[in-house]
Amino acid sequence: MAAAQLVVQPAPEEVDTFAPPRLGELVAELRPSPADLAAGRRRYEVVVDGWRFEVSTESADRAELRDRARRAASEHHVAAEMILRAQIPGRVARVWVSDGEQVEQGQRLLAIEAMKMENELRAPVAGVVRNLRVEPGARVEREDELLTVG
Amino acid sequence: MRKDSPREAVSPALFGRVLVANRGEIAVRVIRACRELGIESVAVYSSADAGALHVRLADRAVYIGPAPAVDSYLRIDRILDAAERMECDALHPGYGFLSEQPEIAEACEAAGITFIGPSREALAELGDKLAARKRAVDAGVPVVPGIFWPIVLAGERDEAELREQADRIGYPVLIKAAAGGGGRGMRRVGTREELIEAVHGAAREAAAAFGDGSVYLERYVERARHVEVQLLGDSQGQVIALGERDCSIQRRHQKLVEEAPAPGLTTEQRRELHELGVKVVRTVGLRNAATAEFLFTPDAEFWFLEVNARLQVEHGVTELVSDLDLVHEQIAIAAGKPLSARALAAAARAAEPVRHAIEVRLSAEDPANAFAPGPGRLTRWRPPAGPGVRVDAGVEEGSDIPGDYDSMFAKLMVVAPDRPTALRRMRRALDETEIAGVQSTLPFHRWIVTQPDFTDESGAGLSTDLVARTWEPAPLLSAAALRAAELTALAARATPAPAAARPRDKQSASRKGDDAWWQAGVREQLDELR
Repeated sequence: MAAAQLVVQPAPEEVDTFAPPRLGELVAELRPSPADLAAGRRRYEVVVDGWRFEVSTESADRAELRDRARRAASEHHVAAEMILRAQIPGRVARVWVSDGEQVEQGQRLLAIEAMKMENELRAPVAGVVRNLRVEPGARVEREDELLTVG
Repeated sequence: MRKDSPREAVSPALFGRVLVANRGEIAVRVIRACRELGIESVAVYSSADAGALHVRLADRAVYIGPAPAVDSYLRIDRILDAAERMECDALHPGYGFLSEQPEIAEACEAAGITFIGPSREALAELGDKLAARKRAVDAGVPVVPGIFWPIVLAGERDEAELREQADRIGYPVLIKAAAGGGGRGMRRVGTREELIEAVHGAAREAAAAFGDGSVYLERYVERARHVEVQLLGDSQGQVIALGERDCSIQRRHQKLVEEAPAPGLTTEQRRELHELGVKVVRTVGLRNAATAEFLFTPDAEFWFLEVNARLQVEHGVTELVSDLDLVHEQIAIAAGKPLSARALAAAARAAEPVRHAIEVRLSAEDPANAFAPGPGRLTRWRPPAGPGVRVDAGVEEGSDIPGDYDSMFAKLMVVAPDRPTALRRMRRALDETEIAGVQSTLPFHRWIVTQPDFTDESGAGLSTDLVARTWEPAPLLSAAALRAAELTALAARATPAPAAARPRDKQSASRKGDDAWWQAGVREQLDELR
């Protein structure tokens, strides 16, 4: 599921412009963690057309603050490095690249075997492979860091 | 509890007690048939399934091991042990797991337990996909052009020879596992350069999945449809065809949507297809249920692919069109009965069906992320109902969908007098379906039933690569995300923020599950605010 940032602050007049939930649309508020409560953040599970989202909301002021902080931090990075994570749990079957290797966008990097199928990971951008953390035979869980490209 | 409730008096009952060697929706399916026939059912379960629906529905249940299938549902020894201890006189394997392994039929035979399925010999013959192809050729049934023997790549000379053979077959080619089935262990190869690498990859997958790394090669037919014939045979040697299905809507050779009959075929074509299916299984002699799969090429030729010697996931659409209960028939055949009058009548009508049925498979997979499986807890499950709707589910609201097994948790079927009505009915049913807690394939199904390539009555738009070519989730996901944001804003606006001390004080109508569902509550608040 992709992560998305959501800033919500509807004015009272805008309430009329939202259509009430239709059949098949589901909204449930999830229990807030202490961190959520401290940040004034509310979390929801929302389903639309069968698509399931986890949505968190916070006040516009807080969002602005966080944006400013992130922009300041990113100005210090020369080039964005992408961390590639396992999308499924499984076992690394093949690794086609090595640390320090230059790869093109779309190039095959490694293959993970899961649910009896091999899933190939391809480079989303061109760049240099670094931080290669796995080798053939390694077990990976969802969200485990595999390597970086950038 | 059920265990003490009076059983249906069906005299004489075909069996006393049947062990259902499976889980999920198919176990529920078989248990239901047993109950209707006055037969006691025994479920087996792993630690992941202790609270599962099939366990609760059966008359008895036996624990057979920890969650991984290899330690539980694939353990012939533990399953047979359970069957013997429970004094079962028959065993139904369902689909997947052990259903096509001759070893289980053999183990049943040794224990004096009737295996509800084909004979051990038929399983062995039909399970070897290469041998089955050869037999089809010998019987005069057209097959997909390809290599009829397992590929051995021991060195460069073998590789050169393989390249030559593949050149003759013509690209693209499809590498398939000889011991495979259910769409696993297959790879499409577009060019000569990719061939050797792909064969090695496919062999590895096959070894992991089936314990046999043998692979062979077939021509990959572009824009072919996948059609299959439901067959039924008895111990007296009668074999009939009950109708065909179209299962072209697939992704990576995993079926997503199936229907009966196959759209756009003439009566003559249906008869021809049914006869080909019967011809193929006659070569081994079929007792019980099986399905013969074919490619239907753009030139309107039927090319034999393989036989699945078991009941299939999509058997329900054939049941709905032919008004037959295939599991009842399976059990009766296993008990030695000849094909029933109902079955024979259904076969006689099979080439001129008067109903149309469509099935969508609901799985815990993310259609926006290459259908990656995502186990979890089904916090909301509201299946559709009403005229012409049939739902075969292995779950209830609140069920866990474990990651150790196939991610399909329910099948949603509709039946109607014709295809356009069936499509409208399916759209209506999908609109009513509510699923939360896990990402399901529901958004994909809502999309496919509106696509002209699918809805076209002639079936000309159907092909096994339709999904790969045209499924583009990003815009659908974006549109849904916008709506989700709208709904969240509405919800956040309409209700007070939760305090730490009081976990929930939602005002919605009575709901099950941990988190209250807000529809009613939010609407009430909105009305107040107007």
